[in-house]
Amino acid sequence: MADTILEIRHLSKSFGSHEVLRDIDFTVNKGDVTAIIGASGSGKSTLLRCVNLLETPTSGEILFHGKDVTGRGVNAPEYRSHVGMVFQSFNLFNNMPVLENCMVGQVKVLKKSKAEARENAMRYLQYVGMAPYINAKPRQLSGGQKQRVAIARALAMGPEVLLFDEPTSALDPEMVGEVLSVMQTLAGEGMTMLVVTHEMAFARDVSNHVVYMSEGVICEQGAPADVLGNPQKQETKDFLARFRKN
Amino acid sequence: MGIFSELLADISSLLSRYGWAYLNGIRNTLVLALAATAIGCVIGFLCGVLNTIPHARTDNPVKRFVLALIRAVIRVYVEVFRGTPMVLQAVFIYYGLPYITDKQVMFTNVWVSALVVVSINTGAYMAESVRGGIISVDPGQTEGAMAIGMTHVQTMMNVIIPQALRNIMPQIGNNFIINIKDTSVMFIISFTEFFAVHRAAVGATYKYFPSATIEMVGYLCLTLTSSFLLRVLEKKLDGSDNYELVNDDQLVMAAGNYNYPDKSSPFDERHKPSRDQVIQDVKIGKKRGER
Repeated sequence: MADTILEIRHLSKSFGSHEVLRDIDFTVNKGDVTAIIGASGSGKSTLLRCVNLLETPTSGEILFHGKDVTGRGVNAPEYRSHVGMVFQSFNLFNNMPVLENCMVGQVKVLKKSKAEARENAMRYLQYVGMAPYINAKPRQLSGGQKQRVAIARALAMGPEVLLFDEPTSALDPEMVGEVLSVMQTLAGEGMTMLVVTHEMAFARDVSNHVVYMSEGVICEQGAPADVLGNPQKQETKDFLARFRKN
Repeated sequence: MGIFSELLADISSLLSRYGWAYLNGIRNTLVLALAATAIGCVIGFLCGVLNTIPHARTDNPVKRFVLALIRAVIRVYVEVFRGTPMVLQAVFIYYGLPYITDKQVMFTNVWVSALVVVSINTGAYMAESVRGGIISVDPGQTEGAMAIGMTHVQTMMNVIIPQALRNIMPQIGNNFIINIKDTSVMFIISFTEFFAVHRAAVGATYKYFPSATIEMVGYLCLTLTSSFLLRVLEKKLDGSDNYELVNDDQLVMAAGNYNYPDKSSPFDERHKPSRDQVIQDVKIGKKRGER
């Protein structure tokens, strides 16, 4: 039996009377790369933000190693330190240079020593190819560089699962590749990842589980070859057909 | 011309007699304005942070009540101290407190009372500036900090406040300059700042306009110097526009990266027109960079 890290059960989320997510169910095992695809407004990002408790789910459970994290009295910051997140708009700390961006969480949240945090940060910055830029401020970097630093920042916290919220959507086309290749390497090394993406090639080649969402529900999920190659539902077929056209 | 030489003569006679008193007044004004602005900023930051603690309908009622109470108290403080003249606040605190408490509570030291009045006044203005400064920081910064497991306090201290501080630096400078001028109303509680010296000197010599000229020039010098220093400070806070690449792999730079340029290409150092062009470009680029 695979080692289950995250289990989403009957998750629902409403903003006022507008129901964004309805009865979402899926599990993430250790080493899984799950791609969440779907049209804009189908609730993909909200789902990811719920998993990280940046949004409070209206009902349902999120089990992290079998423990529900949605209830009261759960230490949300502590939980979040185990679940890394990479945002569409990078969200690097503008007041710190690159190296400090990757250190501050380790020092303040994980209470590591500065030297240890620095060494760890350098390792991951080298991994994403941003080691020469440690003295640069985020505003001095290109989008792709920022996103790679953001990935290093998340990795430096030593997360058990990494969430990606459309990591390449805000990038110029020529920078998408550098970020995707980092993600691909990560996936190859067994990192557990949950990726909201519009990159169908990534979903097909890198992920081992694809979740297709439509209007707040999971329409279809399974192995990439099944969902992308041989969709069963009409919505999935229509969605994929639109991608094939362009 | 006669009038001006008379004015100059009056000024120099005033300065020879009261020069040290004027200087002492300037010192007191500066110390009071600096200290009060600093304390006011601390008050402002406290209020601003308390004001922006996130609250949701789902929080428990006790927390919501406490937060609402804090916001109400800050609101009253801001409205009262922003909405009344500082002269009257000084009168109320220095003369009013002993009056209504039957001398149980009173400030015997004019320095302390002046500092209290100007500080809480500045704090009232700063509270709103800080709130604005915090709101103006991109919400993504908060999310980024929360996503790596920071608590609200950690997020504030490490990410939001440093950025808010930079955003409201012009406001802090504004308040400092206003304080340099407005501390002049502290003569009401017989605090000997710059303007009080003017009143003393005029009382003794009746040279009203010459003394006022000294005051004008003095205040203008103070404020101009301050705004210059504040600009320098802001530049410093922004940090360098450039950054150094760190090459931990020494071989990268050592391995011949230099290619000999083609003749008469823009990079050919032997070709005079190209060289001049490059020099020209560098100059223009430098000017742009300096802007």
